[in-house]
Amino acid sequence: MTHTSSSGTVRKGGTAKRNGRGLTGLLLVSAPVALLGWLIIYPIFNAVARTLFTAGDEGLHFSLDTYQRFFTDGYALNNLWLTLWVTAVCAACLMAICLPLALYLRFAKSRVAAVVQGLALFPMFVPSVILAYALIRTIGPNGGVDLVLNAVGLPKINSPYLTPWGPVIGLVWDNIPLTTLMLVAGLGGVSDNAVEAARDAGARRFALLRYIILPQIGNAMLVVLSFTVLGIFSAFTLPYVLGPASPEMMGPFMQRTFSQLSDSRMAVTQAVITFAICACFGAFYVRSIAKNREARR
Amino acid sequence: MTAHLSRRGLLRAAAASSITLAMPRIAFAADGFVNVYTGSDSNISDFWTNVILPGFHETHADAKVRVVDAGDGAGLRAIADRAMAALGTDNDPQVDLLEAFVPDETEGSIEAGLWVNFTEAGLAGLDMVNPAARQTDFDLPYRGSQVLLAYDATRVSAEEAPKTWDELTAWIHANPGQFIYNRPDKGGSGGNFVRRAIHEANGRDPRKFTLDNYSEAYAAETLPGAWDILKGLAPSLYEGGAYSSGNTQSIQLLSQGVVTMTPVWSDQVLQALSMGVLPETTGLVQLQDLALCGGFSRITVPTNARNLDVAMQLVTYVLSKEVQSKIITELGGFPGVSWDHVDPALRAKYADVIPATIPTFPAGDWDAAINDGWYRNVAPGIARS
Repeated sequence: MTHTSSSGTVRKGGTAKRNGRGLTGLLLVSAPVALLGWLIIYPIFNAVARTLFTAGDEGLHFSLDTYQRFFTDGYALNNLWLTLWVTAVCAACLMAICLPLALYLRFAKSRVAAVVQGLALFPMFVPSVILAYALIRTIGPNGGVDLVLNAVGLPKINSPYLTPWGPVIGLVWDNIPLTTLMLVAGLGGVSDNAVEAARDAGARRFALLRYIILPQIGNAMLVVLSFTVLGIFSAFTLPYVLGPASPEMMGPFMQRTFSQLSDSRMAVTQAVITFAICACFGAFYVRSIAKNREARR
Repeated sequence: MTAHLSRRGLLRAAAASSITLAMPRIAFAADGFVNVYTGSDSNISDFWTNVILPGFHETHADAKVRVVDAGDGAGLRAIADRAMAALGTDNDPQVDLLEAFVPDETEGSIEAGLWVNFTEAGLAGLDMVNPAARQTDFDLPYRGSQVLLAYDATRVSAEEAPKTWDELTAWIHANPGQFIYNRPDKGGSGGNFVRRAIHEANGRDPRKFTLDNYSEAYAAETLPGAWDILKGLAPSLYEGGAYSSGNTQSIQLLSQGVVTMTPVWSDQVLQALSMGVLPETTGLVQLQDLALCGGFSRITVPTNARNLDVAMQLVTYVLSKEVQSKIITELGGFPGVSWDHVDPALRAKYADVIPATIPTFPAGDWDAAINDGWYRNVAPGIARS
């Protein structure tokens, strides 16, 4: 029991034990790394290679034709812009909704806070297909909201169903729990002492947020942003059911190119372009994690 | 120390249980089940699970059949590709019967001998199949349905309901926002509405389009006329040019009273009516100058199926009077066999609606050309806020 739970004793135990422990660690980590290599890293290189090299009469040759086709095709570019737009709007809405929520959950100590937390986590347990149909029933045309408005004599809402706002609303709702949880975790690092001290020094609420809290959770916010962007960029179900026929988001567009047009090389090209954009946000995340590690050392 | 041991024990137990959990998946192929793959909507997979299979079990108590939803035509294509890849090897294709699939969708599969030739196999009941529905010896039409227009009869009287394409377009323009059809690749009701527009742009002659006569040049000659017709309709559609994402969503919009008229599959709308999803005041009408396309769903059986015998017995049972009559009563579809081979009482009851012919549109390369052409030319139409 002792040697596994306390690292202190191991360090004193000399190099042999240390090496043994390192080996165990490597063994433990080898399974996920191997899986990562097999199921993720290899397919990425495979996909990139498949888009760059085509089999011609005289063997493989290098070609950028699918990329050229994508970036000169107004229809495809429109789809890419829509995806970027939806992602940006969703990320902004999520920050606007979840930051106040996370602040409340972090500092409130009342019973109501527990209820609010439960409610904020609820969307996590609703599958997106069910959410999509539920949204059609509520904010869709002649849906629940319209019925209530009609009952009190107000005009109907301009339904977001089948417009780009449909998936935006769905995706924001769907991503609230993860965003809130990560922000609350980030806020956990803000010590009560610092807040109290600032309050004692006469800091107002806004100053407290601006000078004490925000600087300490910048990292968490970056992580949250990259996570939500990655999730939303590749969303499929909600844009498919709630979104307009055209422009399409990249998820449904890729699926249609692959299965309907049977143009797998073009579909992979779209995937590589999507991946390249997501990888930029992934890099943010990795950088902030690395910075965090260094700061702790 | 005990804690240490028990933690190890726990890890072992967890590993063991996760392996056991993974077992059924690994053993999926060789468990003796006959795998039926369907690419149709849930009303069809429900029909297989709740009507066909229980009936089949009465005479074949030992047979184990599993209905798997492949999602859509593309899903079935992937399964057929797997069977094709397994052909000539010892590998189990893990599929014994495909529902709603035509052999042409897998290139070279007929020549390679992937599909059972029902004539050569001497399938019992083959002589009963409606000759008008037969295409090749490798596929078996077992149920048909057609696309109709469904409308809210409280807002449109039966006399006002459009009976020709011109009347329909006039009605759509006179009632802006009251008509919607779904994206052609997401369901056949909207897909066949788009194909009806293609027929309209080409002299209402379905014979102009065959499986073999597709070429890019011929498509460029025949399709743009239809895009113009459909683009012309867009401003008068729901929300000035919105398209629902499937057959079911169109029915949902009709049931919520959002639109007054929409194309629907005959079987789906009859089921929606019987389940109360649509009110009894829903009217149905078919265009008389040229009907909206329909089609027969076809069964194919791969020759390398592990349970070929049971699969063929199942096919024979599907053609029986019992199942074919239930296709009319339970599914709201048309039988794949000639009407002489269904319950005489049903024949008399449905005498008025038995269609003489249902126009069809070939699949194959036309599918991709029509669907993508629609997305690029019609869907963007006008800017919507």
